[in-house]
Amino acid sequence: MSNLKTTLAGYITYRGREGHWSFLLHRITGLGVVLFLTIHIIDIAFVYFNPDLFMKAIEIYRSTLFGIGEIFLVFCVFYHGVNGLRIAYLDLFKPQGWHVESQRRSARWTLTIALILWLPSAFWMLRNLLMHNYGLFGG
Amino acid sequence: MEVRVRVFRFNPEVDRRPRYDVFTVEAEPMDRVLDLLEYIRGDIDGTLSFRRSCGHGICGSDAMRINGRNMLACKALVKNFGTNEITIEPLLGLRVLKDLIVDMEPFFEHYRSVLPYLINDEPLPEDGRERLQSPAERERFDDTTKCILCAACTTSCPSFWADGRYVGPAAIVNAHRFIFDSRDRGAAQRLEILNQQMGVWRCRTAFNCTEACPREIKITQAIAEVKRAIQTGRLD
Repeated sequence: MSNLKTTLAGYITYRGREGHWSFLLHRITGLGVVLFLTIHIIDIAFVYFNPDLFMKAIEIYRSTLFGIGEIFLVFCVFYHGVNGLRIAYLDLFKPQGWHVESQRRSARWTLTIALILWLPSAFWMLRNLLMHNYGLFGG
Repeated sequence: MEVRVRVFRFNPEVDRRPRYDVFTVEAEPMDRVLDLLEYIRGDIDGTLSFRRSCGHGICGSDAMRINGRNMLACKALVKNFGTNEITIEPLLGLRVLKDLIVDMEPFFEHYRSVLPYLINDEPLPEDGRERLQSPAERERFDDTTKCILCAACTTSCPSFWADGRYVGPAAIVNAHRFIFDSRDRGAAQRLEILNQQMGVWRCRTAFNCTEACPREIKITQAIAEVKRAIQTGRLD
């Protein structure tokens, strides 16, 4: 069995608990941020190499699909950042925090904090999207 | 109660790909999954292959994936699953030799790579007997002495699934057992081994290992302590 097949089978079928899910979410949100950064570096490069293409890219970013993508991007940044701080703190300063009960609790708190940070910005971004793209809220 | 047991089957000499056989067996709530497997092998299908030895959670022979989680079949009670459907699969990340038996050699190779034995070339104490240790010094590594090398931790680790060269949680636990032993003098050697690319830094703290350990060893904590010892050079 190839490593990729084993890895994906494990990710999907292994019934781990909070740690497994926070590991997966950390990985997915990390990939989301990397994807955004890659696109962002490419489109900013257009300013120098091909300004017309840059304007077209900006047009695409104003579409509803990209607007929704950006809302999820903010979640990716918040979750990845907060979970990264949790892992760094436990690993570097408090190894005894890697205990079954406290780890489950800290993983749940991490998700809660990321959602609390994300929801207000998601609300404003969604409001702006509906205002500019659909003329709602006096747009 | 009637239990429907789905068992992973694969005989590389005959089968092109794995399949799942379903056996319906009568079981008591306090029966262990190992009892179900023994019944199936003894009374229904004698070709079913799995490892077992002591049957009491000490030898570590019968680690397998039961309903998606690594555990010892001899410690898994039917009543604890809360369902009449039980799926039994081999450990993930190690080559399947037959049915529920996996090739443990890569696992033991990693174990041997961390020098899991006392290293001390200093002369014996004057009385020629034991090297004494205080209760506090013994307590420092007590948790990691409990490992039974069942591989439930290493094969639940996403980093090990991705790359079998990763030394894995079990090997790190057994390195920890000697690194923090006040009688041992091989800590620097082991820390150097574990500071390699496939050493402790591959740990992504997914915590599956600690959840899977049938001996309830605080594995992720032990790994973090080894990481810290590498960073600081201190063994306190």
